[in-house]
Amino acid sequence: MKTKLKFLIGQSLKKKTDTKWFKIANILIFILLIAVLNMDRLISFFGGDFQNTVNVYIVDDANAYDLFKNNFDTMASSLEDLGNYKVEKSSKSIEQLKENLKEEDEIIVHIKPSLNNFIEVDTYSFDPLDMLTLQVLQSSLNNVKSTLVIKNSNMSEEEIAALTSNVDIHTTVTNPKLDENAEGKDILSSGLILVFIIPFFLLITMLTQMIGAEINDEKSTRGMEIIISNVSPKIHFLSKIISATLFVLVQAGLLIFDVIVAFMIRKMLGNSFISSDVSGFIGDTLAMIKNTGVLHLLLQGLPIILLLFLFSFLTYAIVAGVLASMTTNIEDYQQLQTPLMIILMVGYYIAIMASTFQGSLFIKIVAYIPMLSFLIAPVIYLLGQITIWELLLSTILCGVVCYLFFYFGLRIYKVGILNYSSRNLWKKIFKSMKEK
Amino acid sequence: MLKVENITKYYGDFLAVDHLSFEVKKGEIFGLLGVNGAGKTTTFRMIIGLLEASSGTITLNNHPIDYTLTDKIGFLTEERSLLTKLTVYEQAIYYGVLKGMKKETIEKKLDEYLQKFHISEYKNRKIKELSKGNQQKIQFITAILNDPELLILDEPFSGLDPLNVQLFMDVIKELKKKGTSIIFSSHRMEHVEMFCEKLVVLVKGKSVLEGNLKDIKKAYRKKNIHIISESLDLQKLEKVPGVIGVEKNESEIIVKIESQENAKDVFLFVKQYDDVTKFVVEDATLNEIFMEKVGVFYEN
Repeated sequence: MKTKLKFLIGQSLKKKTDTKWFKIANILIFILLIAVLNMDRLISFFGGDFQNTVNVYIVDDANAYDLFKNNFDTMASSLEDLGNYKVEKSSKSIEQLKENLKEEDEIIVHIKPSLNNFIEVDTYSFDPLDMLTLQVLQSSLNNVKSTLVIKNSNMSEEEIAALTSNVDIHTTVTNPKLDENAEGKDILSSGLILVFIIPFFLLITMLTQMIGAEINDEKSTRGMEIIISNVSPKIHFLSKIISATLFVLVQAGLLIFDVIVAFMIRKMLGNSFISSDVSGFIGDTLAMIKNTGVLHLLLQGLPIILLLFLFSFLTYAIVAGVLASMTTNIEDYQQLQTPLMIILMVGYYIAIMASTFQGSLFIKIVAYIPMLSFLIAPVIYLLGQITIWELLLSTILCGVVCYLFFYFGLRIYKVGILNYSSRNLWKKIFKSMKEK
Repeated sequence: MLKVENITKYYGDFLAVDHLSFEVKKGEIFGLLGVNGAGKTTTFRMIIGLLEASSGTITLNNHPIDYTLTDKIGFLTEERSLLTKLTVYEQAIYYGVLKGMKKETIEKKLDEYLQKFHISEYKNRKIKELSKGNQQKIQFITAILNDPELLILDEPFSGLDPLNVQLFMDVIKELKKKGTSIIFSSHRMEHVEMFCEKLVVLVKGKSVLEGNLKDIKKAYRKKNIHIISESLDLQKLEKVPGVIGVEKNESEIIVKIESQENAKDVFLFVKQYDDVTKFVVEDATLNEIFMEKVGVFYEN
C-alpha cells in the first residue's frame, strides 16, 4: 500500500506541476514579481514627464522672491525624482510671459501684495497644474506668508526660530513589562508581517481549489470506482492531502525563489533616485526587525510557526477533500468552498487588528482556534503578545484538530467519493460520521 | 473460486440486493442479468469491495475480498471510468500500478493489447480525444492488463460495432482458456447466450432464475420451430394444437409451441406442403426466457 500511496502522491503532484499552465503561470509570476520589486527602475527606465524640469517664473511684486525660492527649493529637493523644478525670477511682464507660455513645463507665478492677506498669487500654465506641483507651491507660499507676518511683528531672529520649531516631547513610560521597542513592532505588525501573511492566504486558496478540482475530476469520470477498488479510501484521501500540501510548499518555495532573484536583480542594477529610498526602506525594515527583537523571536519560534503552517495546510486540505467528496460536480464544490474562504478572511482581518487592539483577550482566544491560528498566532507572538509556549499550545491544538478532522473526515470521504447523488446528502453524511 | 453467499444490501430502507447466492468457478463465464436497477451494479460493487454487504459473505479462493485480493480482480464499469485528461499510456500505467504491476510489465502488456485491438497509434493520445468505441477498448484493456483471476464486466460491449464486439469476445474466450473467472452483465441476451455457462437473473435484487444456461433452456418448456416455406397457410398453422404464436420474417417462419410434444402436430401439418425446405425445432432464446421470467414480476 505504501508503494501505491507514493505512486498516487507522485501522480497527483505530477498532474499539478507537469502542465504547461503551471509552467506558464510560474514564469508569469516570476516576471511580475521582478517587475513589481523593480518598478521604480522600470518607471525611470521608460522615463516620462516626471523627469522633465519644470521652469517656475516668478513675477514678484511683493518682495518675497528670496523667501519663496528658499522654501520652494527645500520642498522640491525632498521629492527626489518625483519632481524637478527650476525657480527663476523674471523681469518680463505677465503678458510677455503668457505669450511664450506654450510649453507644458512652464509655470508663471505672480506674487502680489495683499492688504488683508499679506500676499496673493496668480498662476498661469499651459495645462492645469498637477497635484504635486500645486501642493509644493501652496506649502511654499504659506511659509512665505508666515515669515512675512512674523517679520512684520518685529520679533527677533531667535524668537522667529523658536516660534517655527517643533515642541520637544520627552516621553517616559513606567510600565516595567512594556517592550522598549513596542513602537517599531507596531509598524512591523501593521505592515510587514501582514505582507508576509498574504502569500499564505493565497496558497490556502490555491490548495483548496486544487484538491477540489482533482477529486471532482476523478468522481465525474467514475475513475474513482476503479481507484477505490484498488486502494483504500484512506490511502486515496492521504494521497490527495499530501500531494496538495506538497504542491503548495513547492509553490511557496518558487515564490521565495522569485523574490530572492528579484532582489538580486535589484542589487545588481544599483540605486536609482527612487530605489535609494526603497533600499533605504528595506534596510530600515531589516534593522527594525533586528532591533525590535522580532528577528530573535522569529528564529526562536520558526520551527513551531512552520509546524503550525503545515498543520493548517493539512487541515484545510482535509476539509477541502471532504467537501469535494460530498459534491458531485465542481460548481457545487465551489459553493461549499465559499465558507472556507470566509474563515480565511476572518483570520486575515483579525491578524490585521492584532496591532490595533493590543492585548485583546478575544484575539488571544482566536489565536488558539485551528484554521485561524496560523494567521493570528505567529503575528501576536512576534508582537510579544503571547509567549512561545502559548504559540506551541496553539500549534498542538491545530495538530490535534487536524488529526480529528482526518479521523472523522475519512468516514465522510469513504461514503462521499462513491456517492453520485445529492439526494439525502446531509443524512448520508451524518450517518457516515457514526460508522467506522 | 468466487463465492457469493446469501448477500443482502440495503440503502436506507430500500432493499437493493435480496439474499443473493452464486458461485463462479475457475475458467467459468457467469452471467448476471436483470433490467436496469435490478441490483447488478450493486452486486458488482460489493464483490469489488466498493460497498459493504448488509449481510452475507463474499469470498475469493475462500478469503474475504480485501485490498490484498483486489489486485487479482479486473473491473470494467458500465460507465466510462477513465481519467480522460491522461494519455492511453499514462492511464494504463496509473491503473496498472494500482493493481500492483511493475511499469515494465504494464508497458509490455499494453503494447500487446493495443496491437490486438488495432489501436497502437493511440498510445500517446489523450483519452478524451478518442472515439467512444476506442475509449471502451482502453477501458477493457486496463481491466485485463493484470491477467486477473476474476474479471467483472459490466456491459462490456456498449458503444462497440459488431466487428469490435467479436474482437472483445475473442479476448474474453482467451482469458477463459487461461483460467480467468468472468462475471458478465449485459442487456443483450444474444451476447450472454454466446458465452455464459451459468447465470442468475435478478428482479428487484432477488434471483428469479439461476443455473446452467443449457439446463435453464431445457427446463423451459416452450420451443421454437423454424420453417422455410412459401405456401404454408399461417392462419391454419396458428390453430394447430399447442401453437402459441406464429411470426414471419423475411427468410423464415417461427412457430412458438407450448412444449416439445407439440412439435409432432406441427410437423404433421407442415408435411402437407411440398415446398418446405427447413423444419428445425430449437430451444427458446434466452431473451424469450428473460422476458417471460422478468415480465411476470413487472406485470405483478
